[in-house]
Amino acid sequence: MKRIPSRTSLFFLLAAISLALLILSSSGRLAPVEGNLARLSQPFLTVSNDAGRQITNIVSSARELAGLRSTNKQLQTQVDTLTIDNLGLKEVEAENARLRELLRFAQINPLSDYRGGQVIARVISRGPSNYLSSLTIDLGSEHGIKAGMPVVTERGLVGRVYKVGPTSSIILPLTDPSSGVPAMVKRSSSRAVGVVNGNVGTRPVMEFIAQDADVSLGDEIITSGLGGNFPKGITIGQVLEVNKQDFDMYQEAVIRPTVNFNQLEFVLVITNFQPGELESVG
Amino acid sequence: MLILAVTVVIQGTLLARFHFYGASPNLLLVVVVCWSLLHTVSEGLVWAFAGGLGVDLIAGLPLGTTPLALMPTCFLAGLGRSSIFTSSVLLPAFLVALATLIFGWINLILLSLRGAPVDWAGSALRVMLPELALNVLLVWVIYPILRWLAAHIGAARMEL
Repeated sequence: MKRIPSRTSLFFLLAAISLALLILSSSGRLAPVEGNLARLSQPFLTVSNDAGRQITNIVSSARELAGLRSTNKQLQTQVDTLTIDNLGLKEVEAENARLRELLRFAQINPLSDYRGGQVIARVISRGPSNYLSSLTIDLGSEHGIKAGMPVVTERGLVGRVYKVGPTSSIILPLTDPSSGVPAMVKRSSSRAVGVVNGNVGTRPVMEFIAQDADVSLGDEIITSGLGGNFPKGITIGQVLEVNKQDFDMYQEAVIRPTVNFNQLEFVLVITNFQPGELESVG
Repeated sequence: MLILAVTVVIQGTLLARFHFYGASPNLLLVVVVCWSLLHTVSEGLVWAFAGGLGVDLIAGLPLGTTPLALMPTCFLAGLGRSSIFTSSVLLPAFLVALATLIFGWINLILLSLRGAPVDWAGSALRVMLPELALNVLLVWVIYPILRWLAAHIGAARMEL
């Protein structure tokens, strides 16, 4: 009888364990374990994320420095010194600007209660997986965060809280393929409704728009409030392209989100909105 | 395991900031395939399992998603272990390129099974190809480091 290689046995064993974990995790039974593990990993993720932010600033500063060098060679040494000193100042300045914008947004939208949260690990769009999107923030159940709460910035909708740990939470952004946001065209002469679904590696698409609905390039898309998962009126994005075929039941619109998910550092969690049931996306 | 933990943290934080035509490099995949080539496929499987769980935890994915996609890539290393080209970076680069495609397709299959809409051709063009290019470039940095580590940690055991 041919002996099964040990690595094949190991593979099937680990695959069976992975499958079992996948089923348990998708059903929510592992939530307490996942929450405690997330709490343990949070300090490391915070330090690493801060280091990443510094590296990004250095790269940006290097590009600016290259531009200055080409037009002012005589001041090169002085510019180098000033750039290093300015790294820290730029970080503080940028952070203040973002916080001011968030505060202004909260003040002009007084009907909702907000809790500010800092993104600590940009597990977003294409990382750590290029196929699935998620964000981690440094707010959890200890701060009053609950699954299903909408997440926004001053620019518009980010997504909603998907998993909650004691001190951190995972956000499912609207760019994730599992995300579906009931939406509508803001223009009063249209008000066409549909669902904005995320897509792998490309922009979200607003689907299930009635064939006879009026949707045009440049139309602003907002949350419709239908289904009760998001408050009505939050900006999602702008129509970039409309796909309409006579033989289809519905038309589609490609949406450019107003939120820049590649540069997300701070978000607001709407804490006084009661969402509908959060379906398992696993 | 320290190498694995550092890889997972870097994957989840630093590398998420760098994008090339819409994709970022998959450090964990590169490390797992290279280590499987340098040591044993069995060790690579354990690294893929543990590292994949770490990535799932950071990303908030259902636990088990990434290990299921990553573990099959370890067997590619088994194809190359008896090759005379293991001292060259070209072999691991080729294996990582194949592994990126396999990992990508498995991820899309798992996404599809979860009920999410999947654009197969579009995802291959928009995500897999840029990620493949980045992962292959990463091999030129990671493989020599892992080869040095493997030589100092212990020799690869013959696997029956």
